[in-house]
Amino acid sequence: MSVLQIHAQPSRATVWTLSWLLFAAGLLSYFWVSRGRHMDNPDDRVMPTIRQMAQGFSDAALKPAEDDEVAADASRQSLAAKIGHSMLWKDTLATGRRFIISMALLLPAVLLGVHMGMFPYVGSFFLRFVLFFDKIVALSLLPILFIAFGIDEMAKIMLILIGVGPTIILDAFNLTRGVPKEQIVKGFTLGAGDFAVTYRIVLKQISPRVLNSIRLNLKAVMIFLFSGEMIASQDGLAYRIALLRRHMGMDTIIPYVLWVALLLFLIDYGMRVLNRKLHPWFQEA
Amino acid sequence: MRKFSFILTLVCVLAGALSAAPPSFTLGWSVYVGWDPYAYMYKSGLLKKWGDKYGVDIKVRRFDYAPSLDAFVAKNIDACAMTNMEALDMPAAAGVDTTSIIVGDYSNGNDAVLVRHNLTLAQIPGKRVLLVEKTVSQYLFERAMAINNLSGELKRVKYVNTSDSDLAGAFLGDPSQQVAVTWKPLVSQILRGKGITKIFDSSKIPGEILDLMVVRTEVLNRPDGSGQRFAKAVTGAWYELTSQMSKPGAEGDKVLSAIAEVSEDTLSSYKEQLATTHLFYTASSALEMTKSEQLKKTMELVRQFCFTHGLLGDKTASSDDVAIRFPDGSTEGKKDRVRLRFDASYMQMAAGGKL
Repeated sequence: MSVLQIHAQPSRATVWTLSWLLFAAGLLSYFWVSRGRHMDNPDDRVMPTIRQMAQGFSDAALKPAEDDEVAADASRQSLAAKIGHSMLWKDTLATGRRFIISMALLLPAVLLGVHMGMFPYVGSFFLRFVLFFDKIVALSLLPILFIAFGIDEMAKIMLILIGVGPTIILDAFNLTRGVPKEQIVKGFTLGAGDFAVTYRIVLKQISPRVLNSIRLNLKAVMIFLFSGEMIASQDGLAYRIALLRRHMGMDTIIPYVLWVALLLFLIDYGMRVLNRKLHPWFQEA
Repeated sequence: MRKFSFILTLVCVLAGALSAAPPSFTLGWSVYVGWDPYAYMYKSGLLKKWGDKYGVDIKVRRFDYAPSLDAFVAKNIDACAMTNMEALDMPAAAGVDTTSIIVGDYSNGNDAVLVRHNLTLAQIPGKRVLLVEKTVSQYLFERAMAINNLSGELKRVKYVNTSDSDLAGAFLGDPSQQVAVTWKPLVSQILRGKGITKIFDSSKIPGEILDLMVVRTEVLNRPDGSGQRFAKAVTGAWYELTSQMSKPGAEGDKVLSAIAEVSEDTLSSYKEQLATTHLFYTASSALEMTKSEQLKKTMELVRQFCFTHGLLGDKTASSDDVAIRFPDGSTEGKKDRVRLRFDASYMQMAAGGKL
């Protein structure tokens, strides 16, 4: 038997089966325990059944949100309109907006990192401070953040930037430093200026790796975004989860968490595809 | 063979020791003026004294408030300190039959509506209100509006759901926020800020925000009677402590400062919170409240609030599906769906000196 050896060669079907085994085990044990709890207490809310979760999700996705004005003649609306007025859609939009804005604001962080790596004066000005700032646990400084940025959208986005920004800056900085000196010298001998070398040789070269590092930080971005929404907000996916917790609405919380996981997976996948499209020459070492 | 008999004896001895061990119960509490005494009761040995008398072993564990409710609903703890509203919308609504054995106190100013720029209640619609949504804070605020005939304006109020651990910092740090609703000690902390005033507090709706000690009904009904002995021990210890707390002068202060200590508070701060808490120091005063018609009126308001705000669950079709039973046997809601019971018998025994 060579099952446990490095040289083992499982068939495609085996690989497929094995990869789903833990999912099946997790689901089975969940529903086993859930069934037991429901036999014991039909009103149990801690571990909802699959039907309750399906109901919870369809309510969230198809019924008009509590505070929606056009709730009156909901039955006559088309499916798209129903989704458009639903709780899930509104929450996803609110969270998505914050997410996109903060991702967009991470781009200047990349540029800062590249400049720090290329221009000695910029580097000596910023490097020590960013290194220090990278180690600050932003969440514990909340009261000061409130004074500086209020408690609205700005505060949530700043929380993400303070949390993830330094990591991205330092990463871009290190990647820039990693570009072989010879290439830069060669660029100058061929007549390029400072900025041509920075943007067309260095930035061009490190951009797939930078994109990768942003992709790997997606989860950190999401964690900071969720904390921000749980601290104070009027809408968003984490806001809804915090509210539902007030009355143990696990039948909606679990589908919400799975929805967030799916969105994150899609963004991650999208960024990988984008990276391949933009940089077809790039091969991960 | 000798080895075998040795193991057999060992097993017998162990089994004997285990069966002799008194049944064990866990009580959960979170930091709040009316619940801190439970921690002191445990720490000072008072609870052990009463536990020994009734042959039960009682453990007390500190939680944050929300996790303590979660633990009670998940049946990880047997008894828990909570308000009348949460007793209804957390365990009772989740199908965990719950019995209140002690009505400890009511908030008599602990919960408050705080504003900047001397706003009045009528000016709040259209503005943002920082609070922990769907809690007693929102109940207080909506009652304030109702009392002032402003219920129709509630739709225009924009609630900002704010975590209680960050609420004081958020309100004090961001001067553009004008209204916050919260409870003590956060209220005292926020009022120290400049230009902040209190425009409504729970002393204007006395007896509506009650703090209870609740036990799972199935624990109380254990066939061996240990659950009832547990309830008796807790009640006995509670009223012995409250009588110590109410002693005038240095004697009472000594107990109060020891209670303040377990929640890392100071005597003066604890006394300031006690001043806005109507604690039922005697079992007979608590009994009077529990048996009163006022309790029924309060619970009617609370259950309608919970129902209209979806706190009884989206699937609960009617507020009658989570019914409440009072000491005189009357119920609010369907008789076959009783989930929250007010049991006066333990307070009665304490009042009659029968514990």
